[in-house]
Amino acid sequence: MTLEDYLREHAQNIPDKCAIVCGPDQVTYGQLWKDIVDCAECLRNSGVESHRPYVFRASQDARFIVTYCAIHLLHAVAVPLEHSVSDEVLNKVKDEVEACQFADDICDTLYTTGSSGQAKGVMLSQTCLAACADNFIKEMNFHPALVFIVSGPLNHIASLFKIHPILTVGGTLCVLDGLRDMNAFFQVFTLPYKHFATFLVPSSIRMLLQFSAEQLHAVAHLIDFIETGAAPISSADMQHLSSVLPDSRLYNTYGGTEIGCACTYQFNDGKYLEACIGRPMLNASVHLDDGKIVVSGKTIMSGYVADPERTASILRDGAIYTSDLGEIDSEGRLHLLGREDDLINVGGFKVSPTEIEEAALSHPDVKDCICIPVPHVITGQALKLLVVLKDNCTLDKRSIALHLKQSLETFKIPALYESVGSIRRTFNGKLDRKSYR
Amino acid sequence: MKEEIKALLSEALPMVDFDSEFLFSELDSLGVVTIMIILSQKYSIQLTMQDATPKNLISLDALVRLVESKMQ
Repeated sequence: MTLEDYLREHAQNIPDKCAIVCGPDQVTYGQLWKDIVDCAECLRNSGVESHRPYVFRASQDARFIVTYCAIHLLHAVAVPLEHSVSDEVLNKVKDEVEACQFADDICDTLYTTGSSGQAKGVMLSQTCLAACADNFIKEMNFHPALVFIVSGPLNHIASLFKIHPILTVGGTLCVLDGLRDMNAFFQVFTLPYKHFATFLVPSSIRMLLQFSAEQLHAVAHLIDFIETGAAPISSADMQHLSSVLPDSRLYNTYGGTEIGCACTYQFNDGKYLEACIGRPMLNASVHLDDGKIVVSGKTIMSGYVADPERTASILRDGAIYTSDLGEIDSEGRLHLLGREDDLINVGGFKVSPTEIEEAALSHPDVKDCICIPVPHVITGQALKLLVVLKDNCTLDKRSIALHLKQSLETFKIPALYESVGSIRRTFNGKLDRKSYR
Repeated sequence: MKEEIKALLSEALPMVDFDSEFLFSELDSLGVVTIMIILSQKYSIQLTMQDATPKNLISLDALVRLVESKMQ
């Protein structure tokens, strides 16, 4: 059964139950299904066809879920993009997906950062979406009385893949527009429910622990579980969170757009193993190939849009060969050792330094540059742009940042800038990234 | 104090327009935390996320008022 099948059933069986909470607005299952059907009709009338893509900006509200499900109801392919993408990026994606023939079982295409700096369209099948939902429902016990709080961008896999399990079981999804207003996060716990759960990237957990540990502890009895992932969480933060939420289940999950949700580690086990991502979830299998993690099973992607070569480079014999280095301990738990490529993880967002450098080089004052990771107290890593300026130019950080904003999503804009005399290169002229790490 | 805060925060968050009357809408969660950390360290005041309300972060003037109230 698809998510839309479950929603149709819930609309019949529990029409008055709250499906979505977003600020002051609450949408019941009955209303949600009506909105989805109405939206599907509008989309059909505007020319959306089955197995054809529909590209849209992801709003952070119930409207996103209505549109997303309506697209599926028409058997079309949902292509949600970050809400801040420029028209230029949106049109480029449109051109790419509209030229592509999609297999009948493809439901979603999510765009994710590629190591070359070019975004990749990852095609996901109904089998993949259902298998990931099944993993979460069974491993983390999603149930009808649960309220799941989503605060990350809804087009991001970490948020999008929670919409499926919580609405499949007839629970309640609470959508927040980020965590910049932490008081809005805590306000959710005043809703008349007794079971809450959420996904938080490690930087958000660190923020909570640093500024709101007491408030979090005060609602500990209401929190069934918190899941983290997308970036490394320190053992100290695991231990601190476990002490603040002694009776909640706490998970560190390994996943990605290409592999779905693969492994999870319940870390309030007294060991707080850093970099441990546990064992494979129900619908995924994991092994190592030359030290790199290989994931197979129903949760993996179907391929990249319009790029059979890149697809073949990582998808072989029904398995995804990742760039993540790992090892399996004597108890069968997988541990992440790092990445083989140059992607920089900023608070859970993967950023290709090449993409930043290409955008920065088009600034009139920039002669040469390199984007490097630097330690950051909250996000673990932050982006820093080292810039060689053209003659008679002075460093204007704001000008460069605003220039980058024209072509890049917000999370890709470096926070730090430094003027340098030259950029180190290897003997064959490539950027010497390793020497900056 | 206003210019000092503006210079400090602009250095850390170059993309944010601190002259905006809708400052909060320009910030993400990391921006909010960065402001809290910088102001608490610079002025030796204790700020919590309960202080990070849209009202306190709506403009540079509101931030100045927040700092002044915490210093009293």
